[in-house]
Amino acid sequence: MEYVEYIHRFELSTARYIPSNDNWTPSDNAVYSPSDYFRMECEQRDELRFKAVRYQLNRHYQGNKTYRTYCQESGFSPDSLRSVEDLERVPVVSSDFFKTYPCGRDFALWLANLYTGELPRVHIKSKEPTHDEVIESFNSAGMAVAYSSGTSGRHTFMPRDMKSFFANEYSLAKGAVSMFFPRWDPKMRGFLLMPNPFKTNLFAGRLGTVFYDIMKDVEVALDREVNTETVRQSMTQGDGIKDKLTKYVVSMSHQRSVDKIISWIDKRSKDKEKIALVGVPFLLFSVLNELKERGKSYKLGDQAVVLTGGGWKMHEDQRIPEAQFRKDIDEVLGISPEACLDLYGMVEGNGWMMQCPEGHHLHIPTSYIHPMVLDEKNQNVGFGKHGRFAFLDGSQGSYPGFIVTNDKVRMLDHCPYCDRPGPVLEPGISRMAGQETRGCGEEVRKMMVSDAGGQ
Amino acid sequence: MLSPRQLKDREYIMPAPFVRLMAKGIIGVLKVGTFHLPSMLRMRKISEGEERYVRPARHYELPEYKEGMRTVRSDEKYLRPTLFCDPNDPLIIAMAHELGAFQVPDRVFAERAHHLVKELMFVEEMPIDDAATTLRRGTGACFHLASVLIALCRCAGIKARYKLFAMSMISSWYDSTMGADFLMKKWYDILGYFVLEAEVEMLIDGEWVNGVVGADAAWQASTGLQVSRLGETSLGDWFEAVPGSYMIMESLPLGLATLYATLVSTVPGSFERVNVSLEKQRKNGWRIIEEAGGLEAYDALKRVDKVQMPKVELEQKGSITFD
Repeated sequence: MEYVEYIHRFELSTARYIPSNDNWTPSDNAVYSPSDYFRMECEQRDELRFKAVRYQLNRHYQGNKTYRTYCQESGFSPDSLRSVEDLERVPVVSSDFFKTYPCGRDFALWLANLYTGELPRVHIKSKEPTHDEVIESFNSAGMAVAYSSGTSGRHTFMPRDMKSFFANEYSLAKGAVSMFFPRWDPKMRGFLLMPNPFKTNLFAGRLGTVFYDIMKDVEVALDREVNTETVRQSMTQGDGIKDKLTKYVVSMSHQRSVDKIISWIDKRSKDKEKIALVGVPFLLFSVLNELKERGKSYKLGDQAVVLTGGGWKMHEDQRIPEAQFRKDIDEVLGISPEACLDLYGMVEGNGWMMQCPEGHHLHIPTSYIHPMVLDEKNQNVGFGKHGRFAFLDGSQGSYPGFIVTNDKVRMLDHCPYCDRPGPVLEPGISRMAGQETRGCGEEVRKMMVSDAGGQ
Repeated sequence: MLSPRQLKDREYIMPAPFVRLMAKGIIGVLKVGTFHLPSMLRMRKISEGEERYVRPARHYELPEYKEGMRTVRSDEKYLRPTLFCDPNDPLIIAMAHELGAFQVPDRVFAERAHHLVKELMFVEEMPIDDAATTLRRGTGACFHLASVLIALCRCAGIKARYKLFAMSMISSWYDSTMGADFLMKKWYDILGYFVLEAEVEMLIDGEWVNGVVGADAAWQASTGLQVSRLGETSLGDWFEAVPGSYMIMESLPLGLATLYATLVSTVPGSFERVNVSLEKQRKNGWRIIEEAGGLEAYDALKRVDKVQMPKVELEQKGSITFD
């Protein structure tokens, strides 16, 4: 099958995500017009990106007081943006900023003041609402507020509207489908190694709704409501009776998910239907270990693809090198490394960096994402050097998606393994060594922790 | 002796958020301390051969008090004496005069007082005592230093108050240091309830102006921060307050000194190690400043480098309604 026909089938499957092209904005153009984000002519892609970022920058500057003030304090005006080279000067917002939210009613106002544009009518049925209650109220009004897993102890909340969320889901799916060419098929069955996307506002979970449109008979690992409290419980590390009980319940639930996935794989290996396993690597890792313990293996071959993302979270201590992980998948499930891809993205942005099958480097969709690597002085170091990943998201209409992350990356101007043009990130992205915070009381706190034998 | 009404009026009584924080902290420490007794014992000792703390010499002269030196002696809120903060103490009055009280504009006086407390007095963790004693010694924790700055301002007729908060840490630091160790994380979280930070607010020309104390230039340089000036706050910059912990107070609350004294006497070893560590950080900070070409050059460099955070004004949006 030719790529044109292949991607046409994808466009048909995702028609509901695409705005009517009578009134596409430069942002829509950058997300929906490319047939393959990773094989575009440089000039065309640069033009799309510049127009999309400039369009969103103007919108946020005019419609978002928080960002406008921030720009003015930084001495930046969108009028000074003339070419792609000028994009480096756009003020970026630290991803830590999105963790600085208050509680109760103020949390609702915080979300509202972060959002660019007119909010729908949001009615909150509580005097002192929890974060979950606020999110539910926003989402009942037609928004798509989602949050990160909060491995660091604090969730990141992002107020997207449905248009921005659709752009996110669409670009995620399109990037994956084009990288998997020609393996994807709308008739393939899917298993999401994640919570049910219709029962959670956890960003990584909720994104899964798009897979119901590009695959058939999608099953999920965790078919129950997941909110911030559930996430907190699943990450508990204490050793009290309550913590132990919670850990026991979580581990039972984890084991049930593993059993369910194995049983599903077993059925698919017999009916030979095409399948996709999509989700967090640590759950698949548990499946592989369980199969090894049971002495079972499969030869799924071209029948299957694996798409992972989101990192290892609380299972960081179990992390194994990516190449070893793919080798294990090959040995236990019989799925070749070329059909096992990982992606890199985050709740703060709509950009999805997809690994290529040839070298598993992360390709950046530069028709709408302007990537940068910043040094300690927040200067763009360009290609070949390690630094902090930052990006300008030309698809993000809900809030200023001009973000500097805490992720340490190295960007190359071209993939060393494949012929796709454009920049890539090397695999193996890690966290930047954090800035140490000090204060009078904080010193006491740290020393006591250290003396307690923690360090 | 103050009446119960005066105690309440002068904010000697712990406000509800403070009580909640303290209660959580005390219960947490008792729980963890009971189950991890060896850890507690480690915090008490200074091992043989371990470096001991030597208090640095005072970096300023103590002026002499002379009869007739003026002080405001007001009973007005934010001008009157409060716990550990007596603006009418002779030493405070003498120092206020030395700094130009009643002779220079309020802002100039505040700049001078802020410089004295922030740059010439140093952080030393110890039980809380009063402003005059702290000024005589030249060192103290952020509570002590805040009291000195407030006492000097009140003496000069500038209203001043405490800003207290529990600190929420930057997540990337938490990730890289705390993530892996459960006990360490638990201790850290529990101590966060009652190891508070203090800053000062001064009413100058009709506006409450921030003052960071307890972090001199060298210490700030050792952590890569810009050197904070009068009018700047750590909140939203290098600190975030734990939601609900932010308190504006006329006085330090009753009970805080007892709690601190108990903590110091329970784990004196840890406190001494903190003070040794602070001295080292300060020396390292001066080296960094010198390498950058001096204080001004260092500060200018850091202010350019800094990724600022936007500030969200929580404006009511008509489209949101609450029950």
